[in-house]
Amino acid sequence: MLALSEILHSKLKFALIALAIGLIVALTMTLSAMSEGLVTGMTGAKGNLDADAVVFQGDTYLNLERSLLTAEEVERVRAADGVAEAYGVGHIFISVDAPAKAFDTRAFGLEGDFEQLPIVEGTGGMPTDGEAIVDETARADGIEVGDTLALTPIDRELTVIGFTENRRYVMAPVFYVNLKTYEDLRVASMFGAMAETTDAELPSATHVTDAVDGSVSVVAVKLEPGVTVDDLAQTLGGEFDVVTPDEAALAGNGMPVMVLAVNGIQVVSFVIGALVIGVFFYITTLHKTGQIAAVKALGASNAFVYRQLLAQILVLVTLGALIGTGLALGAGAGMPSTMAFDPRLDRWAVTLGLVYLMAFVGSLFSLRSILRIDPATALDHAEH
Amino acid sequence: MSLLQVRDVSKTYGSGRAAVAALDGVTFSVETGSMLAILGPSGSGKTTLLSIIAGLLQPSSGEIVIDGDPIHLRSSRTAAAYRREKIGLVFQDYHLIPYLSAVENLLLMPRLAGRVSAEHREKARGLLGEFGLEKRAKHMPSELSGGERQRVAIARALMNDPEIMLVDEPTANLDTERGTQVVTMLGEHVRGRAMTCLMVTHDGRMAEGADRILRLIDGRVAESL
Ligand SMILES: Nc1ncnc2c1ncn2[C@@H]1O[C@H](COP(=O)(O)OP(=O)(O)OP(=O)(O)O)[C@@H](O)[C@H]1O
Ligand SMILES: [Mg+2]
Repeated sequence: MLALSEILHSKLKFALIALAIGLIVALTMTLSAMSEGLVTGMTGAKGNLDADAVVFQGDTYLNLERSLLTAEEVERVRAADGVAEAYGVGHIFISVDAPAKAFDTRAFGLEGDFEQLPIVEGTGGMPTDGEAIVDETARADGIEVGDTLALTPIDRELTVIGFTENRRYVMAPVFYVNLKTYEDLRVASMFGAMAETTDAELPSATHVTDAVDGSVSVVAVKLEPGVTVDDLAQTLGGEFDVVTPDEAALAGNGMPVMVLAVNGIQVVSFVIGALVIGVFFYITTLHKTGQIAAVKALGASNAFVYRQLLAQILVLVTLGALIGTGLALGAGAGMPSTMAFDPRLDRWAVTLGLVYLMAFVGSLFSLRSILRIDPATALDHAEH
Repeated sequence: MSLLQVRDVSKTYGSGRAAVAALDGVTFSVETGSMLAILGPSGSGKTTLLSIIAGLLQPSSGEIVIDGDPIHLRSSRTAAAYRREKIGLVFQDYHLIPYLSAVENLLLMPRLAGRVSAEHREKARGLLGEFGLEKRAKHMPSELSGGERQRVAIARALMNDPEIMLVDEPTANLDTERGTQVVTMLGEHVRGRAMTCLMVTHDGRMAEGADRILRLIDGRVAESL
């Protein structure tokens, strides 16, 4: 193979090109992983809800923090046409006194379906009262499975029974608890420091507790086959807002702007990568104009010459992809776990596919010059 | 029998006041198994003539006839196929592929047409032997002398059994002794085969090794010996 002979003949030159491609690949992959890390860090707990649809209180603009559905409303959703299964999801702010440092995060109360949480350490399933399954990034705060953590200022405790993954919300690890624990945390939060006093001494507290009973923030719904999110929205009417978990994830907390920025970064890195790779091969093509003219004068078709270039690109981009993936993985391993870095294989596969595409697009510059090289110039010795 | 006929070929570069008539009504023919030297001063149109026969340039008028068939090269693709199948081209500065060994440079020719077979390798070795290069087969062009490179280039041009060998200034970069040697070898190869060889030179001594000499002056055939 001509293309390979040339690479082997000029090892240093082509090694440098492969390295440069590798750096570009590493850059695109790292940016992709960091972007992905940012987005899952911001929304993982919302977007990964095991549901076809998420039902919010109407007119809350898909704001999880503000949405509130009463027990009666939850039942109405559960009973609606097209709903196969439904479980309430409660959201509440908590402050955790972790060993390393205290931090603010959220607890999610799930009415059921704890099987949706992938367990990376400890045990899964429905936690009992006062227990929690926590996103594994809590390890960075010194939290371990089995720890019992004080929640401030409400004088409650949660015991960590297992770690799950990709379940952060606004960059903080979410604590998953059962609905009873969730209600307890809510009531305690409402009364703040007064929570130490018993309910019996405060008639108004009993009143509030009754009202809170069975209410949640949103309802996660699994639809019957053939029923769409829009169908459910139609059925439920204006008192509710119905969206997919992905739409829910991208609403609020500045996510629309953040997603724009993140996509912008990736598009820019991709375009620059395509240009740089294209220019590399364009330069090597320009460098060989005389040789290409001679080969064409000997009877090589343009297709033959272009195939050689494509073969070289294939070899060098594959080398570059290996180098780049290695560098990106190394960079990821070197980053602290709190850093948003989420190397997702499917995304990287897409990135790699795009790198081959960029190289191909870049090769079109070269194709143009290959087509333009006049084989007759091979006989003009004066120019050489 | 004349294998190659050049019929009333003219070539004008440019147009209007900048027009240069490089060839003006050139007519001649070459017999099978013979070698023709084209002799002429600089700018007389030698390279232009070679380029037209090689299908690298279109004549402004006139035609090239091979084996009785006028050639028509409408696209770059048919021109490339024509060069692969009918023409053996030797450039003045050889244009060996620098990253291919001598034998791989020969194998480039069948590679352009498709696959390289064991017979091709056999043939390449045979040609290298014929031109005294059997010990140089694995050498890279940078490791060869000027005369050796010249012979590799000639052997390469012969790889596809061309009907017409076109050789541009084969001896420009060689001393007279080596130059004559190369021309003699080439002549020996051509004679007795179903091919002809056109050799461009401005050195009269080299032309002596040819069967006939065509003298070009200002784009016209001045003398045909
Ligand atoms: N591409 C071109 N455009 C314009 N004029 C050209 C071009 N190529 C050649 N010419 C002119 O055509 C004439 C013949 O050129 P050609 O190269 O065929 O001469 P030559 O006999 O090969 O000369 P030399 O011995 O110097 O190689 C010259 O006057 C040259 O200037
Ligand atoms: Mg010339």
